[in-house]
Amino acid sequence: MTRDEIKDIILEIIEDIDEDADFDNLDADQPLRDQLDLDSMDFLDIVMELRKRYKLQIPEEDYPELATLTSCVNYLEPKLQDV
Amino acid sequence: MADYRLIIIGGGLSGLAAGIRSARFGRKTLIVERHSLPGGLNSYYYRQGYLLETGLHAMTNFAAQGAKHAPLNRLFRQLKLSRKKFITHEQLGSEVIFPQASLQFSNDFDLLCEEIARHFPAGIDRFRAMAKEIDTYDPFAEVPWQSARDFLHDRLADPLLEDMLLLPLMVYGNAEEHDMDLGQFAIMFRALFLEGFFRPQGTMKDLIDMLLDQYAQFGGEIRFRAPVEGIISKDEKVRGIRLENGEEITADAVLSTVGIPGTAQLSGWPLALDMDEYIGKMTFMETISMLPEVHLPPERAGRTILFYSLNDELKYHRPAQAIDPSWGVICFPDNFQGLERQHDAPTQVRVTNAANYELWQQAAQDKEQYRQVKEECGQQSAAAVSQILGQYNQDAVFQDSFTPMTIERFTAKCGGAVYGSPIKIKSGRTPFENLFIAGTDQGYLGIVGAMLSGVTIVNQHLLG
Repeated sequence: MTRDEIKDIILEIIEDIDEDADFDNLDADQPLRDQLDLDSMDFLDIVMELRKRYKLQIPEEDYPELATLTSCVNYLEPKLQDV
Repeated sequence: MADYRLIIIGGGLSGLAAGIRSARFGRKTLIVERHSLPGGLNSYYYRQGYLLETGLHAMTNFAAQGAKHAPLNRLFRQLKLSRKKFITHEQLGSEVIFPQASLQFSNDFDLLCEEIARHFPAGIDRFRAMAKEIDTYDPFAEVPWQSARDFLHDRLADPLLEDMLLLPLMVYGNAEEHDMDLGQFAIMFRALFLEGFFRPQGTMKDLIDMLLDQYAQFGGEIRFRAPVEGIISKDEKVRGIRLENGEEITADAVLSTVGIPGTAQLSGWPLALDMDEYIGKMTFMETISMLPEVHLPPERAGRTILFYSLNDELKYHRPAQAIDPSWGVICFPDNFQGLERQHDAPTQVRVTNAANYELWQQAAQDKEQYRQVKEECGQQSAAAVSQILGQYNQDAVFQDSFTPMTIERFTAKCGGAVYGSPIKIKSGRTPFENLFIAGTDQGYLGIVGAMLSGVTIVNQHLLG
């Protein structure tokens, strides 16, 4: 998967989790949590959705890697390269 | 390999929410429900052509769409239900009525503040300071029991105001007699006074059907009329359940929503204290009257819920008689914003009073005696309520009551205790490493609370 594809997947998952999600002014390098007003329960859903779709196990200590859109892509790129 | 990843005992609101959460991520999940209808305490039944709701007076925890961190909206995201499509009707306004004073409140917290300023001018600043404190209090931290009464008295120093605030918060969620845990007080204060009452559009049946549809959508399975005889265990693990018909079903984990005493009975869980300590003493009788029209005194017109006490002090404990009509709740389920009554449809009044389980249990030994006690209690309740409303139920076209016996039979709540055990297990853990509890005895309250309990326990223990 390319970096752009991964980015689209993440946004699609967030949109799926939160019907009010608004990406208009989203800064890829700022925390998703603050910008989209997400909480830890929502982050669990992102992780669970990635696991369901790509059989990807993300250990809890790696959750900080999912803080911003850019860090998500950096973290997931090697894991999803063969998908 | 086990038959299921997760078996959930009980198809009430906590069980359905837990089921949706588990099935959503592809886990093979089974809910087993003893009765032919789901919903548990918050269900419905049909009588003389009317669909009557059982537990629901109103839902608490109202939040407008878009308030992302509000429990109601969080719950909807977790269950992947659309909050936008969920239509709500807020309360018109409610009132706490004591002999010396009354306090109105609505979903606008300012109204309660104004009322307190008017009736308790010396207490308003203290009240505001206390409300701020409660707003930032973490009720889910595992801390030892702390007295809400002591806290209130320390902050407000006005016994009448303290009791008036406690009445609605206790009667809508307190399993203990006399006092309540500060954490539970904080949960209820937010749910009722800071967030408020509403009804979903339609009936309880529509809400339950929405949950069932979502569960089925994710591939979850549910079996009705499937009472559980026991939870099968070996050493420190459970392996599944055995139904009363002898069928055994295995699972990687079991989540029980039938309370601490019920789960202990099914699993052989050695409880730390005597079983009686986990059986709540607060149970209720409720009478539903259908009336062509309710004529209320003008000062009470258009109220949604009235919380009344004919005594100066709140008597939140098990009564010595079959019921205690001297305090209770009067609910008008038609009085919510935007509800339109069809012109010929009767309107409903529901009256709830504390009851004594043991006395009802004795009466139930004999059918005729039970009927008689029920009728007498209905009259006592109506007489008490008429002191507030006038003669409201003379021309009732239909009346039906449920008692502690009805509650116990249909909801698996031991002793008919609607708010379950006075001792809660916030972690949801049991001595078996893969058996968990959710629902009332885990400590969340109300319909939104019950569902959040199911969600939280699945998130914490089962999705890893």
